[in-house]
Amino acid sequence: MILLDVEGIPDWVLFFGHFHPMLVHLPIGMLLMGMILYGFSKKEEAQRQASIASILWSTGIAALISCAMGWCLSLTGEYDMDALFIHQWLGISLALSSLALAYMAQFWSQDSLMSRFFKPGLSLAFILVMWTGHVGGNLTHGSDYLSTYLPQPWRNWLGIAPREQESDGKSVSRITIKNLQEALIYQDLIQPTLKQKCWSCHNAEKQKGKLRMDSPEYFLKGGANGVILLAGKPEESDLIKRILLDPSHEDHMPPKGKVNLTEDEIILLQWWVKEGAHFNKKISEIPYNARIKTVLTKYTQGGNQQEAHVSPILKENIPPASDADIDKVRRHQVLVIALSKEKSFLEVNAINAKQVGDKELQDLDDIKDQLVSLKLGGTNISDALLQQISAYPRLIHLQLDHTKISHRGLSYISSLKHLETLNLVGTSIGDEGVLAIAQMPALRKIYLWQSKVSEQGIKLLQKKMPKLVIDQGWKGKWPLDTLNIPIKKPE
Amino acid sequence: MNKIIQEAIQREAQLATRRHFLSSLGTGLGSLALGSFLTNCSSDTGASFASPLAAKSSPKLGKAKSVIFLHMAGAPSQLELFDYKPSLAKFDGKECPPELLAGKKFAFIRGIPNLLGPKAHFEQRGQAGHWISDYLPHLASQADRVSFLKGMHTDQFNHAPAQLLMHTGSARLGRPSMGSWVSYGLGTENQNLPGFVVLASGGKNPDAGKSAWGSGFLPSVYQGVQCRSEGEPILFIQNPAGVNSDIRKASIETINQINQETYQEFGDPETVARIAQYEMAYKMQSSVPEVMDINKEPAYIHEMYGTESGKESFANNCLLARKLVEQGVRFVQLFDWGWDTHGTGLDGSVDYGLHQKCRQVDKAATALLLDLEQRGLLDETLVVWGGEFGRTPMQENREGKKLAYFGRDHHTEAFTMWLAGGGIKPGISYGETDDLGYSTISGKTSVYDLQATILQCLGFNHEEFTYPFQGRNFRLTDVFGKVIDPILA
Repeated sequence: MILLDVEGIPDWVLFFGHFHPMLVHLPIGMLLMGMILYGFSKKEEAQRQASIASILWSTGIAALISCAMGWCLSLTGEYDMDALFIHQWLGISLALSSLALAYMAQFWSQDSLMSRFFKPGLSLAFILVMWTGHVGGNLTHGSDYLSTYLPQPWRNWLGIAPREQESDGKSVSRITIKNLQEALIYQDLIQPTLKQKCWSCHNAEKQKGKLRMDSPEYFLKGGANGVILLAGKPEESDLIKRILLDPSHEDHMPPKGKVNLTEDEIILLQWWVKEGAHFNKKISEIPYNARIKTVLTKYTQGGNQQEAHVSPILKENIPPASDADIDKVRRHQVLVIALSKEKSFLEVNAINAKQVGDKELQDLDDIKDQLVSLKLGGTNISDALLQQISAYPRLIHLQLDHTKISHRGLSYISSLKHLETLNLVGTSIGDEGVLAIAQMPALRKIYLWQSKVSEQGIKLLQKKMPKLVIDQGWKGKWPLDTLNIPIKKPE
Repeated sequence: MNKIIQEAIQREAQLATRRHFLSSLGTGLGSLALGSFLTNCSSDTGASFASPLAAKSSPKLGKAKSVIFLHMAGAPSQLELFDYKPSLAKFDGKECPPELLAGKKFAFIRGIPNLLGPKAHFEQRGQAGHWISDYLPHLASQADRVSFLKGMHTDQFNHAPAQLLMHTGSARLGRPSMGSWVSYGLGTENQNLPGFVVLASGGKNPDAGKSAWGSGFLPSVYQGVQCRSEGEPILFIQNPAGVNSDIRKASIETINQINQETYQEFGDPETVARIAQYEMAYKMQSSVPEVMDINKEPAYIHEMYGTESGKESFANNCLLARKLVEQGVRFVQLFDWGWDTHGTGLDGSVDYGLHQKCRQVDKAATALLLDLEQRGLLDETLVVWGGEFGRTPMQENREGKKLAYFGRDHHTEAFTMWLAGGGIKPGISYGETDDLGYSTISGKTSVYDLQATILQCLGFNHEEFTYPFQGRNFRLTDVFGKVIDPILA
């Protein structure tokens, strides 16, 4: 009994069809083998052609079987018709020419015609096999498969556009909307999402399930299972239904191994379909509730999607500090610990050693290349230490709260290129220190409460470094005193 | 059985390796050294022979270095605090659709209960637009600092097993708690303080008891140390009358000497743990009263947290949690009591008792976030807030009868927790429940997922962070758990 599937193609046809990409390698390998044997045998050898006849016969027969299976596979309609046409006829020609060559090799071997036709014929078969294979590869993997990772200089020579900056695996390039009021719902929001998540299988070259999504017309037309989009009815639209299926479900889209849609993207697609699946309206023309608004604001720039900042220093690979050097610092009861086991960055923390001062900490010099975080709150250090650490190459965090440092010391460390956080709480740093702080190129956050910096100093600093986060501590008053508002007792 | 015997043999062999032999020899000779650091007890860096609590690095670069877990024991109602359900208000008082009840079990609900609309007023807060009710006005003002897991679910509907599951990864006794795992993995930065401290608000200890901070099969040096905010921070921390510190020191030295001899004879790592605990206890005699004393804190800090010194309260514990983390403690677990709002009494009603309860924690928990932030500690401290499960969208009908007050039963299928600080992307809301708030429809997060995420923030891969016991490698998340990436920075 033959089982029919939805699209009317019997299962066994598809079953054999799926063997095509595997089986095609047989004729390819056989033909190459035949050519190698032929090439390495001596010209004077009388049986030169006849000896590879059996290989060529096998090539022809394997090629014929591959063609038949390829035809089975082509019935799925998932491939670009033009390229398929070329691939199909190239494949058939290859099968026929292999058989012809086999015939020549076996029966014409004594003939004088042989020398004139066999070699060109073999070369032709070689060209055919390469060409067919290449077109077939394009059909399966996409036409840019080979050139995707082509290094830059060669791309220029060949005139291929530079590769789009590769995102680091999990995050696809982020879709952003500049002006929420003016943005178009389909062009600016839905289409870019579909492009990222759906187009790789539903495009002009490849149409899985006979579905193309790369233009509104095709999108509305649907695929092998009919229309996928019912405006106003997300729960009945195949597009939404399949996205919402459990990821392990066979019909879930995108299929296993592809990047799934995010929750926000699903919410937006549902909303778009529910509100009529418009292709030309502005976002502002379509009613949205608070939930959609929350999602939409994430797409506008400055939303809360910003990637967390990681200092470039922490991405480096550096040699570890020697145990002897680390032990030397530890002798002063200071905690020295690697930030992680995989890299050698060190943190030094005087948590239990408030008594340390400039003299003891001179030993830090030996681990300065690894030191990224230095926590010296409440210790006996002075400006001399700041002078000492001013040339430390990788310092990112520096905690100097409740120490006796002055603005002179700060001017030493304004040379720290990678310093991102600086804690000056409870120091006598005043407005004179602001200029030194403003010169720290990588500074992102500074803790300045209980210091002597005035309101004006803060303002000046903020003006000089608009992006700097200045922590001025708790304002000292809660905005509301809830405890005095009585709670109504239920009856 | 063979496997266990093999493990025992292996262990014995391991314990008798050259390194162990030499290190124990070192201490045999080195009771001198031990004596010396007992005399100036504040200055040891943990270089003693086994130092199971020495500060360790995480396998990968973690954003957080410590965790403060604020556990609202009894389970707060997500439907009055964070999970805003206008549709539930519409169906208030109507019978719960039977299809929601089919095959479900509840702790107290019997028959067909009525739906109960939210009893609090909700508003969207901050840039993030989080729904937070007026029960938590202070937290609402910091909405952009926190991220919510609204699709939490568990499989235990009774307090004790659910609390155990939350903290140990198993609803049954015997597993190490999260804090024990963390101090096993990271040690403690401050050699005068334990790596894992537990603080309870008083009134009642959590139903799961001390197992919620037990060390299970990990060496007992990693168990949580419970400190009290009223009276002596740790019972019997002061020397008894007539015993001065010289006598104390001499007796501990002697005990440790005996323990070392025992260790040399039998090689049991638990003996090492015991020696370390005696040392720790001695050092804690001076360090703990200091760190647990909130009297020295300035007035504005008391104003900020709403603390009153000498009282057992959540506010005091929040302040202590900050002090402990500041001093290098890795895991602080706070238990607050009284969130079990069944509606059997006024205090257990969701419209009155819950509101009262919120007032006791709202300011202090918010102050904790702000205080950590202004000290630069929030970047490296992960704060977690939540209960052991959620509460039903239905009004509880104990024994099938209508109760005098509005209350909700235990609910496993949906509840909300929030996280903030080290490693967490602020302002995210992950997971959603259906229109009635009955079950999670997207972003389902199991208790194991939460644990995996917490470990991830600390730089551990929860699947690789294991401890061999009884023939197999155990982990906090057992065989479950996936990291909730969308909320990670």
